Amino acid sequence: MDPIPIIASNLVKRYDGIVAVNGIDFKVSRGECFGFLGPNGAGKTSTMKMISCVSPISSGSLLVSGMDVTHNRREIKKTIGVVSQSDSIDPGLDVFQNLISFARYHNLPKERAECKALDLLNLFGLEKYVKSTPDELSGGMRRRLLIARALLHQPSLLVLDEPTTGLDPHGRRLVWERLNYLKAQDITILLSTHYMEEAAYLCDRLVMMDKGQILAEDEPTNLIKDHAGEYIYEVQTSIGNTQKLIRDLSALGKDVINNGYSISVFGALSEYPIDPDLFDGYEVKYRPSNLEDVFLKLTGRGLENL
Amino acid sequence: MIISQVLPKMILWGGWRLWQRNRDAFRRSWKVEVGGIVIEPFVLLGALGFGLGSYINDFGEVGYAHYIAPGIVAGYAMFHATFDSTYAAYLRMETHNIYEAILFTPLEPEDIVAGEVLWGSTRATLSGTAVLVVAATLGLADSPLAILAIPAAFLIGATFASIAMILTATATTIGAMNNFFTLFVLPMFWVSGIFFPLERLPEWLQQLAWALPLTSAAALIRGLFTGQITWLMFLWAGQLFIYGLIALIVASKLMRRRLIK
Repeated sequence: MDPIPIIASNLVKRYDGIVAVNGIDFKVSRGECFGFLGPNGAGKTSTMKMISCVSPISSGSLLVSGMDVTHNRREIKKTIGVVSQSDSIDPGLDVFQNLISFARYHNLPKERAECKALDLLNLFGLEKYVKSTPDELSGGMRRRLLIARALLHQPSLLVLDEPTTGLDPHGRRLVWERLNYLKAQDITILLSTHYMEEAAYLCDRLVMMDKGQILAEDEPTNLIKDHAGEYIYEVQTSIGNTQKLIRDLSALGKDVINNGYSISVFGALSEYPIDPDLFDGYEVKYRPSNLEDVFLKLTGRGLENL
Repeated sequence: MIISQVLPKMILWGGWRLWQRNRDAFRRSWKVEVGGIVIEPFVLLGALGFGLGSYINDFGEVGYAHYIAPGIVAGYAMFHATFDSTYAAYLRMETHNIYEAILFTPLEPEDIVAGEVLWGSTRATLSGTAVLVVAATLGLADSPLAILAIPAAFLIGATFASIAMILTATATTIGAMNNFFTLFVLPMFWVSGIFFPLERLPEWLQQLAWALPLTSAAALIRGLFTGQITWLMFLWAGQLFIYGLIALIVASKLMRRRLIK
């Protein structure tokens, strides 16, 4: 039987007394795309580094591909592919050599490495750039090359730390589309992101992280339903008496969060509808809730701004 | 004890894989560097050996160029290994994130150090061989044993690349390496017996010079160039080996501390 890709229990990471990950528990099942959603500094990258065996755990336990990260680093690293946040494409080598050098680090036989490298360049739409130097590639192409590089040794688990940060919408779409393809190939994907659309689009299940802790864990649609309700009122608060509005809405039993530039009113579809007159004089948006709202509800803050 | 802790972690194929990466990158860029490898020692040997040397009579009929040629082989082996394992390795590590990416594969920090030292030794062998060819062409290598300067250059490269990796593993900026060159590498180059025999130096300076690995490196190659093999040459080779081994272990420990946090 195949081992469970990741089991973390009471996992802690401290750097010089700063607690980056503060006792988290989660389990990633075979074949799913599991996401970490949270703002910068939530502990996503620290968690990913521990899983990738490049950062020792401070306490708790962490099993990756059924092995303990403290004792089986080389063995675990054979089974996972990692794309970190930094652009680590080797500028001294051409695109093809970039892949070949990585296949060598994984000790793949030469013929298989070359075959696999060409396959992956095709798969990621880079077949025209085999002999190009990396600085001829756009940001989106570089990111796709990094993902291709992480797949050479056919890992059963792919770890992606913010795979689309810094890409334009088109580049992001292309990465998403390839990741969707990989999901269909039964690769387990672990993904961190601070884009809620990305988490909603790609993840089968996700955890919301903040300040080193997991706030909630579920399927994206369930998270939204359970924490934010299906619809939300968003009230622009640059004008008017917000204090009174918040008081009135709270009196109706509504969850209201004022994030400075707008007020979010949760539970819009509940059995106690809101009298539209209440919003007189305000600019109000009535829209479906999303993961950003869940995060706001759980922390009182938005995802992008700390 | 410390050896038994570090050495088993080094899997030779891991270092070999990084060596292959550096070789591929070198193949793409060697044309830029060939001047430094061949032309520079040629100019140095010509200017100092024959130019300055024509004013120096203490070396008698043998001539000053004969005296310095083997030392230049050792010096250039040292320089090329040291440069590659400091500036170039630091760029690979910090600017191009190559070490970070390698650590996501089965390789570990010890493999990286082993690979860089292996590559530094290769660079030393290339430049040592280039100087040897120049020296032989100019008629400055008397003994056929001079061909053994090639493996000796590899040993010299391994020693200095290992020392250099200690610096790379601890440098906070690339500029931090400049002090290593101005305060250690260059002074060593001038007092290592490459340009003049050490006998007339004050006793304390002689002892200091013989403690530096470049002095034994130059003496070793000089022995091979003249063909007068003495037991001291084994001692010198042994000194280089021990220095290199200690530096390799220290560099591995420091590199792990730097990369795995």
